[in-house]
Amino acid sequence: MSQDKTDSDIKRQSDGLQKVTVGGVVFILLPQRALLWQERKILIVADIHFGKAAAFRAGGVPVPHGTTAHNLAMLDALISAYDIAHIIFLGDFLHAKTARAPTTLQALQNWREAHASMTLTLVRGNHDRHAGDPPDALNMAVVEEPFLLEQLALCHHPQQVGGAYALAGHTHPVIRLAAGSESLRLPCFVFGPRQATLPAFGAFTGGHVIEAGAEERIFICTDDKVFFYPTQAP
Amino acid sequence: MRRRSPDADVDAGSGSSEAGLKSIRSKRTDIDQRTPLDHWFAAKGWKIFPFQREVWKMARQGESGLLHASTGSGKTYAVWFAALQHAMPILAKRGQLSPVVAEADQPKARCKSVAETGLRILWITPMRALAADTARALEEPLAALLPAWSIGSRTGDTSGSERARQMRSLPSALITTPESLSLLLSQHDAAARFDHLDAVIVDEWHELMGSKRGVQTQLALARLRTWRPQLMVWGLSATLGNLQQSKDALLGLNRGVLVQAATRKKIVVDTLIPDHPSRFAWGGHLGMQMLSAVTEEIDKHASTLVFTNTRSQAELWYQNLLAARPDWAGQIALHHGSLDRAVREWVEVAIKTGQLKAVVCTSSLDLGVDFTPVERVLQIGSARGVARLLQRAGRSGHSPGRVSRITLVPTNTLELLEAAGARKAVAAGQVEQRPVPNVPLDVLVQHMVTIALGGGFRSDELFEEVRSAYAYRALRPDQWQWALDFVARGGQSLIAYPEYQRVVPDEEGVYRVPDAAIARRHRMSIGTIVSDSSMQVQYLRGARIGTIEEAFIARLKKGDRFLFGGRMLEFIRVHEMTAYVRRATSGSGAVPRWQGGRMPLSSTLAHAVLDCLEQATHGDYPGPEMQAVKPLLALQQKWSALPTAQVLVVEHLQSREGHHLFFYPFAGRLVHVGLASLLAYRLARRRVTTFSIAVNDYGFELLSTTPVDIADLFPASTVTGELFSSEHLLEDVIASLNATELTQRRFREIARIAGLVFQGFPGQPKSTRQLQASASLFFEVFRKHDAANLLLTQAQTEVLEQELELQRLRETLAELRQRSLQVCSVTRATPFGFPLMVERFREKLSTEKLSDRVERMLKELEKAASK
Repeated sequence: MSQDKTDSDIKRQSDGLQKVTVGGVVFILLPQRALLWQERKILIVADIHFGKAAAFRAGGVPVPHGTTAHNLAMLDALISAYDIAHIIFLGDFLHAKTARAPTTLQALQNWREAHASMTLTLVRGNHDRHAGDPPDALNMAVVEEPFLLEQLALCHHPQQVGGAYALAGHTHPVIRLAAGSESLRLPCFVFGPRQATLPAFGAFTGGHVIEAGAEERIFICTDDKVFFYPTQAP
Repeated sequence: MRRRSPDADVDAGSGSSEAGLKSIRSKRTDIDQRTPLDHWFAAKGWKIFPFQREVWKMARQGESGLLHASTGSGKTYAVWFAALQHAMPILAKRGQLSPVVAEADQPKARCKSVAETGLRILWITPMRALAADTARALEEPLAALLPAWSIGSRTGDTSGSERARQMRSLPSALITTPESLSLLLSQHDAAARFDHLDAVIVDEWHELMGSKRGVQTQLALARLRTWRPQLMVWGLSATLGNLQQSKDALLGLNRGVLVQAATRKKIVVDTLIPDHPSRFAWGGHLGMQMLSAVTEEIDKHASTLVFTNTRSQAELWYQNLLAARPDWAGQIALHHGSLDRAVREWVEVAIKTGQLKAVVCTSSLDLGVDFTPVERVLQIGSARGVARLLQRAGRSGHSPGRVSRITLVPTNTLELLEAAGARKAVAAGQVEQRPVPNVPLDVLVQHMVTIALGGGFRSDELFEEVRSAYAYRALRPDQWQWALDFVARGGQSLIAYPEYQRVVPDEEGVYRVPDAAIARRHRMSIGTIVSDSSMQVQYLRGARIGTIEEAFIARLKKGDRFLFGGRMLEFIRVHEMTAYVRRATSGSGAVPRWQGGRMPLSSTLAHAVLDCLEQATHGDYPGPEMQAVKPLLALQQKWSALPTAQVLVVEHLQSREGHHLFFYPFAGRLVHVGLASLLAYRLARRRVTTFSIAVNDYGFELLSTTPVDIADLFPASTVTGELFSSEHLLEDVIASLNATELTQRRFREIARIAGLVFQGFPGQPKSTRQLQASASLFFEVFRKHDAANLLLTQAQTEVLEQELELQRLRETLAELRQRSLQVCSVTRATPFGFPLMVERFREKLSTEKLSDRVERMLKELEKAASK
């Protein structure tokens, strides 16, 4: 990756938000692990894994409640901070069959009713195939990957799509940041020349440590900021 | 002579602590029981030791106990015969004649009824590798005394067919591990299987008692006692500073007797003195200077064990020994916990049969089978504690009457001081105490599910049973209720999770596990041993070499070389949790560093060292070690002062780096981490400063860029004031260290034991994979959504108690306040200060928020990259 290309691509805004232009679209990278397509009022999130805690409980693993509420509160916060009309979920909306616990579905229903005019689109992921589509009452459009939108291909599994720039999730990328004796694991966006991977949005999702490829740009999410991660240029 | 008067027997055991024993015994049974044992010992040409008789006498009275004896002293047969004779009267009642007669006359068919009574004696060992050897030793007298008895072992290594056979009918005596015992307890018909159990022997209890495996054993014993109230339990223990507590931990508070084997094994501790002990000693600088002395020692003896403190050190020494003596190829071997089991077993057999000249090893050979051929034990670097030193010494001269000898090989000059201290402590019989875990809820939670599987439990009954285990004697009803809610309701009792069904009470209030999948998963993950996430290392086609931590492998690139298993390897690729390698043809490479276990200098040893320093202040340098370290100490005294048990020495030094403060409390590295962070925190509270911290076992350094006012800091010549106060200690320590990160690391083990995290297993169904999440994720979720979760509290307590040794820190502060203070302004680093300056460990005292921290780390990285 050449340094100058990066610099021309990334405009550091005065409000500290990182922006990336891919597939002819300027995206804002949000530290809440989501992409904002401001022009079209679209929010893109990957791997929210609703009901994962309930699925764990059904399997006899005690996980406290609150993760669904946290996910929804996070969406609410983004909706009120930015003007959003459409949310696209890049797969793994529900975690498992056992994620369809009454309390979880009720919480989703209540949230949906509070945002009745919002357009919701789900690009099916591997977990959705197992868990089944969201209940009809949530009024979501459910589509197969790759879902083409202008010059973008919206997917769950990272892939290359001819003639489009692909956005995907699935791998829950995190980067290991190590300096001196300190070491941190942090969720990140990975932007390659033809495809990007989003960090997992869900509150109860883990991550897999990735190594930056030569052509890739990494953006690290902390609680309130997104950082560009300088991969060592050869 | 087959019969002796019972009185003679009582005499032989006199002097024992039999106060208050009022058991009614028939003289006849006494006679019958004793005779065959005498007979058997006589046939072997062995003498019965008084302590063996004492154990047998206690056992005949049904008494439980702990036998303190060194290895190779005949302790195994002491407890084994105690258990056998405890079982024999019952045998006789069933028509068995005197066993000696039985051997000669009784047809096997008539003994069938004996075998059908099932399990009679349980033998618990901490190491499954020991099971086979133990079985052989126990079997020997069995053939002569109780031919109808069968003996078997059941560990993680036992084959599936053997397990199935045991499930139909357990042998009369079973050798097992704490984990396999818990698994037996989780069988639905567990109570029936233990219906005829008479006695339990716990071997090497000192190895178990300080760990969660020991707690697991305590809980299993509590369960067995519920089923068999007359159950006799005997433990075997090596020397410890808290034997009485060790006994209580095994048997319950103030229960059972402690029997001391009078035969004290003679132990020699000496040191290889370096030719040129430097006055400036940093970690390991002497290491290879001692190589030729070590090869000489190995050369002189038929078989030597070379102990190192870490696996990487073992790899290095093995490599260097081979380089120094290429002719030893094939005659020396390497043994550590990360090597493949097949490799380790081969090495163990080869030592036993005397085929190896030397083995470089780690604590992996602290325990284990008897290595009779071993003549010599060398310890590279400080053993850090007296108990460990004795344990390792005992690996040589392993049979009654022979002398055990351990020779210390210092890796830096200051370790000579430790060697002198170690000799002093051994001579004075001072040995460390081993703390027993206190109310570990993760083990309890696991045990509750185990018991729910093994026939079920009622809350109030199991509560009482658990409280009879020493580790839970202080278990409060609210803690119990929390644990019950955790397994039965999935968390906080106020919230109902209808989907949660791990342990469910039936209409009679008996808690059971209704779901087969949960039951299977629980059985797969019983146990408290949590391994670091590690990867198999394997040649491209074929042989497995061992395992290395994932973190090390993750940093390797194709073609990188590293030293492992005594060979230089070239990394090729990772595929499905296996790192593939090939032999490297030449060159040098990194040595993997395995996490964990850098033990701090023990309090016992540290105090012995302070005593040696005290003597040195009076010009008294006894013994070769003190003579060799004399130039270093003299210089320290000239430039600064010698710290002792009466004097805390603080040095102040100004250098280009900044302002250094050196403290020498001699309290071990963990306490020094806590103490240094605490002082830095308290100093920073007075005036905003940032300190860099370095620690070792002797002291610590605080380095700041801004000047420190010595007169203001230390106004008096005593260690007083807010700086060294024990007030608000807990809060200050938590605030001063990045306790969250430490706690999160600790939580890994707890999450695994409490059944939150599963270690995957081959062929696991997909549905299980959807239940996998990392411990750190659980940690985050609990902290955010269930901050009162007691497992979080436990993680913090464990960090404070075990990783920061809070109790010892408290004691150290109290001790320091008794010392006088000597502040020396020095112009250059002193012999004690120098190793601290080169110690690479630099801990930033940082309480910055995450994004600031990331920003700073990125800056550091950029700076490093642009160099």
